[in-house]
Amino acid sequence: MKDKWLIDRRTCLRGIGASLALPLLESMGWAESGKANVYKPPVRLGFMYMPHGVIMDQFWPTSPEAFLSAPPAGLASLQPVLGECLMVKGISGVPIAPLNGAPHALELSTWLTATLPDAKRRNIVNIGISADQIAAYYVGGLTALPSLELATMPQTHKENQEGLNEAYYSHCSFRSPTQPLPAETNPRNVLNRLFKTLQEGRGGDGQKSGARVDPLERSMLDLVLGGAKDLRRRLHQGDQHKLDEYLDGVRALERRIAAIEHRQKDAAMEAAGMAASKKNASDSPQIEVKIPVGEKRSEYMQVMCDLTVLAFQTDITRVSTYIGSTPNGVSYPELGFTDEHHSQTHHNNQAEKSDKVAKITEFNIAQFAYMVKRMHALKEGDGTLLDNCIMMWGSGLEDGNKHTRENLPFILAGRGGGSIKPGRFLHDIKGNQGDLLMTLLASAGIPLDRPIGIATKQLPGFAG
Amino acid sequence: MRLKIHVFGMIALLTLALGLGAFAASASEPGPQAMSDAEGVAKRSATQKTFKEGVTPFLKTYCSECHGDKKQKGGLTFRSALKDPGLSAFTRQWRTSSASVKAHDMPPDDAKMQPTDEERKMFVDWVSDIKFLSEKDPGPFVIRRLTKVEYGNTLHDFLGVDSGVVGELPEEVAGAGYLNSLSPLLMEQYLSVSNEVLSRLFPADPRVAQSNERRLFGEPPAAGVDRRTAAREGAGRLARRAYRRPPTEAEVDVLLGVFDLAAGAGRSYAEAMRLVLKAVLVSPQFLFITPADEAGSVVREVPLDDYQLASRVSYLLWATMPDAELLALADSGKLRDRGVLLAQVRRLLADKRSRALFDGFGAQWLGLGKLAAKAFDAKKFPQMTPELRSAMYDEARLLFESVVRENLGVMTLLDCDYTFLNQTIASVYGMEQSVSGAEMRRVGLTDPNRGGILGMPGVLAATSFPNRTSPVNRGVWVLEQVLGQHVPPAPPNVPALEKQGRDKVVNLTIRQRTELHRTNAVCANCHKVLDPIGFGLENFDAIGRWRDVDDSGGAIDATGELPGQKRFGSPAELKRIIAERRDDVSRNLTEKLMAYALCRQLEGYDEVVVDRITQAVVADGYKMQTLIAEVIASYPFMNRRVAE
Repeated sequence: MKDKWLIDRRTCLRGIGASLALPLLESMGWAESGKANVYKPPVRLGFMYMPHGVIMDQFWPTSPEAFLSAPPAGLASLQPVLGECLMVKGISGVPIAPLNGAPHALELSTWLTATLPDAKRRNIVNIGISADQIAAYYVGGLTALPSLELATMPQTHKENQEGLNEAYYSHCSFRSPTQPLPAETNPRNVLNRLFKTLQEGRGGDGQKSGARVDPLERSMLDLVLGGAKDLRRRLHQGDQHKLDEYLDGVRALERRIAAIEHRQKDAAMEAAGMAASKKNASDSPQIEVKIPVGEKRSEYMQVMCDLTVLAFQTDITRVSTYIGSTPNGVSYPELGFTDEHHSQTHHNNQAEKSDKVAKITEFNIAQFAYMVKRMHALKEGDGTLLDNCIMMWGSGLEDGNKHTRENLPFILAGRGGGSIKPGRFLHDIKGNQGDLLMTLLASAGIPLDRPIGIATKQLPGFAG
Repeated sequence: MRLKIHVFGMIALLTLALGLGAFAASASEPGPQAMSDAEGVAKRSATQKTFKEGVTPFLKTYCSECHGDKKQKGGLTFRSALKDPGLSAFTRQWRTSSASVKAHDMPPDDAKMQPTDEERKMFVDWVSDIKFLSEKDPGPFVIRRLTKVEYGNTLHDFLGVDSGVVGELPEEVAGAGYLNSLSPLLMEQYLSVSNEVLSRLFPADPRVAQSNERRLFGEPPAAGVDRRTAAREGAGRLARRAYRRPPTEAEVDVLLGVFDLAAGAGRSYAEAMRLVLKAVLVSPQFLFITPADEAGSVVREVPLDDYQLASRVSYLLWATMPDAELLALADSGKLRDRGVLLAQVRRLLADKRSRALFDGFGAQWLGLGKLAAKAFDAKKFPQMTPELRSAMYDEARLLFESVVRENLGVMTLLDCDYTFLNQTIASVYGMEQSVSGAEMRRVGLTDPNRGGILGMPGVLAATSFPNRTSPVNRGVWVLEQVLGQHVPPAPPNVPALEKQGRDKVVNLTIRQRTELHRTNAVCANCHKVLDPIGFGLENFDAIGRWRDVDDSGGAIDATGELPGQKRFGSPAELKRIIAERRDDVSRNLTEKLMAYALCRQLEGYDEVVVDRITQAVVADGYKMQTLIAEVIASYPFMNRRVAE
């Protein structure tokens, strides 16, 4: 299969086990203000999710001191970068009454919203804007993609507990209280989206990679948008709201095309030898993106991690949310057993089952560790990419066996551009899920004019 | 909290005592679902009376102390529900309460006062009558975006491109639970798919490109003819087809504006028309099913206009745009005529495109959608290849289609003496000697344990764990998907079940292990109904093969008893007991299809409609086409609410 894609500027990609020569951020334009100026890269925010909680004694450090000296077994994969991680214990989840019968729909949908779905109108989606989307509203306009949503399972789970809309089982990003955002599950599509232009066809012979956005496309969309507004006036009120999602989508598309046109212009300038900075492709670090061909879950999960790193590194987006798996029915044959994750979490303290849950948790943390380590290995400015990120890994339940939500498991990584001091375990933080999200967004420099969900405060001690 | 099985469907049916109308297909005659207003009013006032005189004092006496103004234990209060009991927002609360009261879970044992059995029954009966409090109402409705499948099929029917062109769009749930939202990502993908469609229609090869241009845009205007006039005509034709209704003047003007944009940039007529086509493909009128009529003055509900109805029927049965005949009937304003509509339903069902009803609805109902990706232990079940999985799916599909197209009774799905096999799946039946080749064909069955969905490998595999059967999953599946009962989830604090430890459990059969549930009072209530059904199917292994011993080496014991002293000793006998409950099965299928057709969960007045459709189906000998046709001719399907 031919996969020769021309990525803008000096990035190029070869073959399926593609090798990318990437531009350093400094060469992307926004760091070219002269040596005298302090170079301040943007802060990126990433969220990665695992369902069903953890085996607590494998996860929580026994004391703040032991965090680095004798970390728990579950964190083994993070060992080399524990100094870049911050753990916080004492974050409670959203109380779920009166929706007690839907713990798994709520563990995911409340994870970034810190909000309980509307219990009066359960069959429609009505929750809160999620933290990643709040961030995207503020910083999304500065990058080609406002945010990236990734998952490894189709979001089509149908289960009707407590009469809640099915979307709550498989979505955690909400662009508005009523609009869940779908996530990309196909790594190739993500790669396309990050680096190919909209104009290129996908089928065909792969020779269209030089195609450009039709210069009339944005004007055409403007006319369509005008027509859609006419249509909107003819509709009933409820239908008008539905059409607003369309209008929002077209406007976002127009911004995206503008960003692509900008990149193309930039590339043309450089081709003509007029670019301000002149680094060769060979100056840039090589990064490999392997699109897995088999069914190995680790490879599938890791390619999504690679893509997140890539998107952050090239500043294509600054916000990413990655649903490692949804609460329904994923198996890990790689670990030597085919049992579904959920079925093992109701272990009733039987060692056979809880061991499997511990293994699955370790596996998921290892994927997060893989991503964090890559970020730590990439230089950016005077430090590393990870220095300018805030990465959050976590689950929406504390203990999958009893569905408790008192001490939700979280691991944070990165320094948030200096706003977070890692290498510590804050063992008694006393806050809720909303407080944590508020704190992370504030650390990333997102101005907040209202609490996120049930938040009441920002948490102290993150900066050291 | 204890577990209970809730049997609302049965209660609802028993409490209904309405006259059955014969299946009427004549043009002017109202259908069997036609509402007798006097009857509705009488039911409503009786239900209100019970509420005032029985239910309100009941709640105040036994419930309000913990679930009232002051305390709200478990987050539950009756304060709001008491003010407006018929509101659909409270339906679930009423049902849960009813189940708890019926099971003697509530009031708790240590409460000061306990209701008498008569009082409990009064409350439970009243809850099943709540639907009568709902005013006649077609239910919530907003314009709907085409699903991925519908979008692909529509591109195919409209432009002749392969429907696989939509390959990269995210998978979606159709029917109830359909998200119907449009994100920026999706909008981007629509533009990308449109670009791909154009590059396929108009490739570098000029012969192909020109032939498609002529087909879609008409002959290019001759010299001397105004290009804009031709463009307006061409754009109007495209829009009428793509929007599935006549476009308004303003809508054609927008497209003409796109033509002018391209023409102004020096593009040829055909090139400019290509941009018009692209504009059509990313327009909301193409991506959504939009009304032909303008929203009028403020009313609560309106009939769907004929074009919307044509689309609704066509997307339900074919998952694609209405064909010329449906649109012509919409043009002539005849589609709402009951006789015409029912004849169209039968015509659409007879067409092979009605396979979409299984792919969209049937597969979801039977839980077969997830079979292709479901994990199976590869060492234990190396047979579960993609070929076998796809044959399992096709077997169920072909039986469903046979029942639909031959207009057989709903019960045929449960109990019949034929199925559809190829060589791959015949091996699961042990019939590989008599069935060879990859092609699926109709095969007669002599084994009474087979035939119908309960003994069907796809269903049996979908309800199993990756490495073994699950009598519990199978029991839940039969109760919920076949009989339409509501099985509550296991409570959060399930007590330890296998205290004996692994070494003792390992020698037990799955049945013996599952029976441990029933040694525990909390579990027993639910599992005594669930598990026997699963036990009755234990002769089928996790991929549906017959067996006489299970993995432990112990002999399979497929005997059991269901409520009403209905005993069985084999899958065949279990199947017969389930199949006898044809009214429940019909009502359940009606309910599930209705929710699918309306793309939403059912509520309030819908339940009244479902009851009436069920009666019509029963009266007409449980015929499958009657069931489908009555759902389509129903009041909620043909009308819409326009205000909250």
